[in-house]
Amino acid sequence: MFLSGYTQKDREFRQKLAIGAIRLVAGGFLAVLAILVIYLAYQGLGAISWEFLSQFPRDSMTAGGIWPAILGTFWLAVGAMVVAIPLGFGTAIYLAEYARPGPLLTAIRLGVNNLAGVPSVVFGLYGLAIFVGFLGFGRSLLSGALTLGVLTLPTVTAAAEEALRQTPASFREAALALGANRWQAIRQVILPAALPGMLTGAILALGRAAGETAPIIFTASAALTLSAPESAFSEVMALPTHIFNLATNGTHIAATRPQQFGTCLTLIVLVLGLSLIAIITRARLRKGKKW
Amino acid sequence: MSQETREAILLRPKLSRTEQGARFFFLACAFVALGQMVLIMLFLLGEAGGLFKTANFFDFLFSTEWYPTYEPPEFGAAALIVGSLAVTFFSSLLAAPIGLGLAVFLACLAGKSREWIKPAVELMAGVPSVVLGFLGLVVLAPFMVDVLGLPTGLNVLNASLILALMAIPSIASLGEDALSATPRQIQDASYALGATRWETIWRVTMPASMSGLSTAVILGLGRALGETLVVLMVAGGAAQIPGSLFDSVRPLTATLAAEMGETAIGSPHYHALFALGVVLFFLTLGFNLLAHYLGQKWRSR
Amino acid sequence: MVDEGPIISVKNVDFYYGSFQALKNISLDMRAKEVTALIGPSGCGKSTFLKLLNRMNDFVPGARLSGEILVSGQSIYGPDSDPVSIRRLVGMVFQRPNPFPKSIYDNICYGPRLVGTRKKADLDLVVEKALRAAALWDDVKDKLGKSALDLSGGQQQRVCIARALALSPEILLMDEPTSALDPIATAKVEEWIQESGMSIVIVTHNMQQAGRVSDHTAFFYMGELIEFGATMDIFTRPREERTENYITGRFG
Repeated sequence: MFLSGYTQKDREFRQKLAIGAIRLVAGGFLAVLAILVIYLAYQGLGAISWEFLSQFPRDSMTAGGIWPAILGTFWLAVGAMVVAIPLGFGTAIYLAEYARPGPLLTAIRLGVNNLAGVPSVVFGLYGLAIFVGFLGFGRSLLSGALTLGVLTLPTVTAAAEEALRQTPASFREAALALGANRWQAIRQVILPAALPGMLTGAILALGRAAGETAPIIFTASAALTLSAPESAFSEVMALPTHIFNLATNGTHIAATRPQQFGTCLTLIVLVLGLSLIAIITRARLRKGKKW
Repeated sequence: MSQETREAILLRPKLSRTEQGARFFFLACAFVALGQMVLIMLFLLGEAGGLFKTANFFDFLFSTEWYPTYEPPEFGAAALIVGSLAVTFFSSLLAAPIGLGLAVFLACLAGKSREWIKPAVELMAGVPSVVLGFLGLVVLAPFMVDVLGLPTGLNVLNASLILALMAIPSIASLGEDALSATPRQIQDASYALGATRWETIWRVTMPASMSGLSTAVILGLGRALGETLVVLMVAGGAAQIPGSLFDSVRPLTATLAAEMGETAIGSPHYHALFALGVVLFFLTLGFNLLAHYLGQKWRSR
Repeated sequence: MVDEGPIISVKNVDFYYGSFQALKNISLDMRAKEVTALIGPSGCGKSTFLKLLNRMNDFVPGARLSGEILVSGQSIYGPDSDPVSIRRLVGMVFQRPNPFPKSIYDNICYGPRLVGTRKKADLDLVVEKALRAAALWDDVKDKLGKSALDLSGGQQQRVCIARALALSPEILLMDEPTSALDPIATAKVEEWIQESGMSIVIVTHNMQQAGRVSDHTAFFYMGELIEFGATMDIFTRPREERTENYITGRFG
């Protein structure tokens, strides 16, 4: 007696077709990625030299290097972390260790989660309105770093909370039962166990901050500066905005093509390097853990 | 001692000064974080409000005339909103199937090679958007002009392709997480009933993780909607309702990034841009809430 | 001989999690230097009761208590009581061994350092004493710097005991301390309990264990204390039918 009209052959054919199609799509996409990476590397390596990395732009940016942009991106990313790490870790500790279920917790969680979905250009508007305008920091390294700090805050918070929640409840119980107060338990037992995971999340966020363009276009960035940033109130160049400016606004769009590729490759190596460090550390941590 | 005071003591244990200080510090951090969201909304709404002293809300939302520097200026956002939705929609046609296909490949078919392909895909999700926009500008656009004979390569199609390239890794990564979380037992049960590998994936694993998969797609699209640099560089920048895939558009995000740097703080144009920011904010919020709702809805089954 | 009075005295305690009443009108006295076993089916309130004795239930949202608990004559829920110092006086060992991811030495020193012991010589002394008391010294004296997580389950649990003992608590609470251990490790922990000479309150699922190690036994059922008396009596001639049913394995 037949239970269905499908023959074994039909079913096998269908399986071959579907799985074949998926393999093709996946393989195709990965191939496209590989081609893009190789293309960028090939074009970029031609432009990169020690001079390119260490000098200021010259001759309407058709010659010289991108040193001030590297420096600007470095300081912006560091500044963002100075804002986001204490605030994000603090919020995560509150959420994971202190908060009791209730309207306050719901509000904080809702706020932080939705902050993560806000488009980066809206952070730029926010930074322009509050840091540049309202607080009067002007278009500066400080305004840009603060904007990027707020932008990365949800990422840093979420990763830190996750790491805190993964420390076993038994550590907490044991410390409290030995007469530690809550803060002692957090500082001496929970934080040391969770910190590597929390920092991994922060490194990923750092990479994101370094690659963002829209939030710093109108809060921090200058097309060209002739000196390294002097203070937190200086306008700065940055790698992403440098690419954007050269490729769309410059007067020598075609002549600066090599600089554009070189800056792209520098930025990618920087950002992906940071992500790679974070991903590898995370994998190591997961393997090494005994609890 | 009354019962009430005793209960109060049990609930509020005596705290040392550092303990109280630490607690206060962390609560303050959480409040500052929450405050950012509140401040963003307040500033956006406050600065946008300035526009409606001179302009009509209905005109702003439904007029397609965006001439911010004319005399008198016109602030109609319809073409910009349609531009944003158009590139998001067309990118989803490509990003959803490819992203989910890649997710299925990683979760169910890749085997050992998953260990390096998944990190590679996650790395790809971290590529700065300005680099992708740059590739659209210097590779895809000239290609379209040369091969397809178009007048310009900066159009809806180009933006959609690059946005898809950007959204696929995040859809694949989130989707793979969802598929991998399917309990082993129900897949085994399917095999034990004589199902093939594909039948198990299609009829058991994917339906079981539908919640996570739909969330992955919606979040990916939310990212595409809010993405700025790609559309700024390759969508062409014309404030018009597109008639075909080869027309230029000026999405909300691109308008903001292009014009905000050149307006005087407090001018009508400045307020109009914040009003665009409000529209964008609520559109993406809608996507996020939809993703959240879908996640909840499927989970409860 | 002078009777010092009970070391733990529980008077008319009701305990709630939100609107759920977990313990109903519990009263009992426990004597110093004795082992008291708490038995009863899952969910009967015995673990909840145990955690009341060092205020570990403070952290449960919606927890509420009425009645009085005295430790060495001091009310631990009174207006002057401080849960942190109570926990130094009343140590606790948990169901699953939960050493910190630190060295054996640092695990043991955790409590003493909290109360301000800093001198290396003092700490060395405390560690040795605590490990000897937990019958672990000979096993680990050469690897005090190693991570406590590298030890076997039974050794980890004895590190946890030593860690609690390092504070010289007056009372030790044990919440099913052997349920995660193999029979040999279990025997070692039980042996330690019998020979410690400490005031111990132990929750256990295992009737034989209660019979072997305890002087007094309390039987809990559905949040009520059904019967409390000398272990010998409870196990040979229980007064209550429910106690007898539980002990002979007719339910639970």
